[in-house]
Amino acid sequence: MKGVNVALGAAGLAAFLALGEAVPRLGLVKEAYFPPTSRIAGALADEVTDSAFWSALGDTLTGWALGLAIASCAGIVVGVVVSVVPYLREVTASTIEFLRPIPSVALIPLAVLLYGTELRSVLLLVVYASFWQVLIQVLYGVQDVDPVADETARSYGLGTWARVRHVLWPTALPYVMTGVRLAAAVALILAITAELIIGAPGLGKLIGVAQASQAVPEMYALIVVTGLLGLLINVGARTVERRALAWHQSVRGEVAV
Amino acid sequence: MRRLSAGLTAGALLLVATACGSSDDGSPDAGASSGGVTTVKLGVIPIVDVAPLYLGQQKGLFEKHGLKLEFTTAQGGAAIVPGVVSGQFQFGFSNVTSLMVAQTNGVPVKAVANGIASTGVRGKDFNGLMVKKDSPVKSAKELEGKKVAINTLKNINETAVRQAVREAGGDPDKVKLVEMAFDQMPAALDQGQIDAACVVEPATATIRSQGGREIASPLIDVAPELTVAMYFTSTQYAQQNPDVVKKFQEATAESLAYAEAHPDEARQIVTTYTKIPAAVLEQVVLPKWPAEPNRSSIEALMKLGEEDGLFKKTPDLDALLP
Repeated sequence: MKGVNVALGAAGLAAFLALGEAVPRLGLVKEAYFPPTSRIAGALADEVTDSAFWSALGDTLTGWALGLAIASCAGIVVGVVVSVVPYLREVTASTIEFLRPIPSVALIPLAVLLYGTELRSVLLLVVYASFWQVLIQVLYGVQDVDPVADETARSYGLGTWARVRHVLWPTALPYVMTGVRLAAAVALILAITAELIIGAPGLGKLIGVAQASQAVPEMYALIVVTGLLGLLINVGARTVERRALAWHQSVRGEVAV
Repeated sequence: MRRLSAGLTAGALLLVATACGSSDDGSPDAGASSGGVTTVKLGVIPIVDVAPLYLGQQKGLFEKHGLKLEFTTAQGGAAIVPGVVSGQFQFGFSNVTSLMVAQTNGVPVKAVANGIASTGVRGKDFNGLMVKKDSPVKSAKELEGKKVAINTLKNINETAVRQAVREAGGDPDKVKLVEMAFDQMPAALDQGQIDAACVVEPATATIRSQGGREIASPLIDVAPELTVAMYFTSTQYAQQNPDVVKKFQEATAESLAYAEAHPDEARQIVTTYTKIPAAVLEQVVLPKWPAEPNRSSIEALMKLGEEDGLFKKTPDLDALLP
């Protein structure tokens, strides 16, 4: 079953690459602006021999990982506290709904003012964007707690911490995992966007330099790298999710099918 | 699951620790100093224009004056001015109109050294108002009612394009100016999405290689040898560190003169911080790098900018220029 899926995925990718080769070759799009797959692959091969590429990759991954970790921890802590403390949810609901849709990139001037073109500017944007993904899922997750289970725990005299630990957390965990998986993708997009626009070190900055230099194949080669990175991160996040939730019926159910 | 939650807690603590540990930049106006050499951060856009400073750094001209440059490349001027004013960088590179706009908005900037000037030679400038090969447009006057791309509205290139149209006898108000990044202009021009584009190198070279024609040299229409961009600092930094500013001025003037005298070396160093393909780089027209700004050209730029309503009040050039 899994082998078939991998084969289908590879076939789809191969077809897509072939299309990328054919479209400029047939003259549907000018080669100068959209080079065929083979030329992009050539540029990619040049890139991977360049040490600047690897340090940029490292910078992007650092921004992504740090940002995601901060956003996840903050989202989980804030989400649980908001849910557990009476009235806090009502007090914060409108503020959260107000802040959540503000696009992270709109904060770029603030980031530059505070931190210049450093990693911390990237972190500000990444954390802001991915924090809400986690927080909202945690809030949903906590709402899903079975009231009977909660009442039972209360009547057995469990304290707040014990109820968070044994009732709330197991119910919320699948939601948290979904939030973290969504946040992982958002964090990558924002890390690269921040680098591209602000000029903080990383793959985004290299894309910006290639763009400004009219180095079209190199630019697409770097874009391909960001796509691959997104793919890997998604696969990784799903694996972690399956491992962490191996006990949960949603995952157990999936395995049985 | 216990392990997971323990891991998350440990991770959170570690992050808090590292986040606190990394926030020690020192006072923003200090500039690290060791062994008589002061390190200053310079905010630049990775383009041909700033080649002299990379060259000056490589040739030891800054070291000679007791300075070490740390280049911070930003994608656009939008990050450089706030970066300098907030003390993230000590110096920055920006076009003169942006500096005048900043000053009239109460942003404390002070130009300290010359940056680049137009070549003053029509058809052989790093900037041009270009149309595609088979365009019927022959002069800037014919752009009335047409769509012209510039990189930033209400900035130096708006002044320049409007002046080019005026000089050709047209009405600049009838030209539809659209904002577009320089690097997207060759493709947009080629596809007919715009009728003309005000571009700088290396996009100028790309359009030329596609057979595009130059119908005007807008910077030259503003002033024959226009000072286009300069290096600047914040007024606060200039007041508190007059000696560093003086060293920077001297080293920059030497670097500009060196680059002007050694264009091949300047062209070569561009490959170290951009990805301009070798074939394009050969075709690129280098700007002029005079050591001193041309005050009368800046006055012309200011008057036109005022006419077009770019400034809230009249810029104070005596305060702005070195």
